[in-house]
Amino acid sequence: MVRHGLDMIDHGASNDRLAALMRAAQAGDAGAYVQLLQDVTARLRRIVGRQRQFLAAEDVEDLVQDILLSLHAARATYNPRRPFMPWLLAIVKNRLADGARRYARGPAREVHVEDLDVTFLAEMTNTVTEVGDPEALRQAIEALPAGQREAIEMLKLREMSLKEAAAASGTSVGALKVATHRAMAALRNKLTS
Amino acid sequence: MTADTNRILERLAAGVEPVRPLATPWRRAAAWCGVSLAYVGAVAVTMSVRRDVISTLSDSGFVVEQMAALLTGVAAATAALATTIPGYSRKILLLPLLPLAVWLGNVGQSCVQDWMAIGPQNWAIAEHWPCLVVTIVAGALPSVAMVLMLRRGAPLTPGLTLALGGLAAGALGHFGSRLVHPLDASVVVLVWHIGTVLGLCLLARLAGRHFLTWRSLVQAAD
Repeated sequence: MVRHGLDMIDHGASNDRLAALMRAAQAGDAGAYVQLLQDVTARLRRIVGRQRQFLAAEDVEDLVQDILLSLHAARATYNPRRPFMPWLLAIVKNRLADGARRYARGPAREVHVEDLDVTFLAEMTNTVTEVGDPEALRQAIEALPAGQREAIEMLKLREMSLKEAAAASGTSVGALKVATHRAMAALRNKLTS
Repeated sequence: MTADTNRILERLAAGVEPVRPLATPWRRAAAWCGVSLAYVGAVAVTMSVRRDVISTLSDSGFVVEQMAALLTGVAAATAALATTIPGYSRKILLLPLLPLAVWLGNVGQSCVQDWMAIGPQNWAIAEHWPCLVVTIVAGALPSVAMVLMLRRGAPLTPGLTLALGGLAAGALGHFGSRLVHPLDASVVVLVWHIGTVLGLCLLARLAGRHFLTWRSLVQAAD
């Protein structure tokens, strides 16, 4: 009983601290916002992991990222005079339900294709491509502007999907496509000149 | 993946700007109602207010119907705005039910009385397209204003939220159209006025998932 009471006090203090951090974040305090997001991220990993035990770690992390972006986008809806956790948990519940719908729709939209070897008779498809100078490629990538370099690293080197890369970099899918297109054109120019 | 999450945290924190917390749903509904009623009044004046408007004020049935429609609009607007606030009590969804029941009950009772008075053989639902047009015109700005206000909140229940928004705008549209059209035949009011309002609700509910999405909110915040 005493232990339960202490937990309640601890929980209340934690909620007050998060509410204070959120109020400061709404006022534009970046330091408070970092603290809030770090604290919330750890809690979200626990909550999502517990509620979605069947998901792989990376899928849990995807959901956590979705919730963080939603929290950020909806931060004006937080009433500073109300407790923080019910507000956050309502977003979590909603985003988890959205995630479950996406998860359920996923297999229905996938088409299973048998993994057959496919070969073509054309000569160019059976010719080993000449491998360029990897060091020159590395230097050319490093010389790209930051946004283009980041797009190439995420999409081409780390083979992230457009959606993952957009979430990680904070840019839109369209902007990533443009950056990748420009980066590829710049690399082609540089390496063929 | 954890590294990506850390990058998201850094980016969100680096770009954080002061935001003004949204006012309570009650205050926002009051602001919406003020703007919408001014517009509805202007529409009624532009389309010419019915000549017997003064005498209808002594008709308790008309006054109850108009007040119930107005209260339904305000209550539905409050409920719609509350559904975009995470953690807000869902009990507020019950708020529009009472004025809506009074509104529909009032019109329904008039329909029954007319049926009893004129008999089923004389019962006919005449076409009254102007009623539909005036209701839509009077509800246009309230609808647009409501959508804009709802898009500032969290899209937790997009279909329900926009259906309530549609009910709010439609109720005010009905309020305005009853100030313009001189016809008080209950069946006309039921079919052409309230039917239009319910149609607007249904359309709004179907459009909810397109107008209110997390994706658009996240993109707007970037």
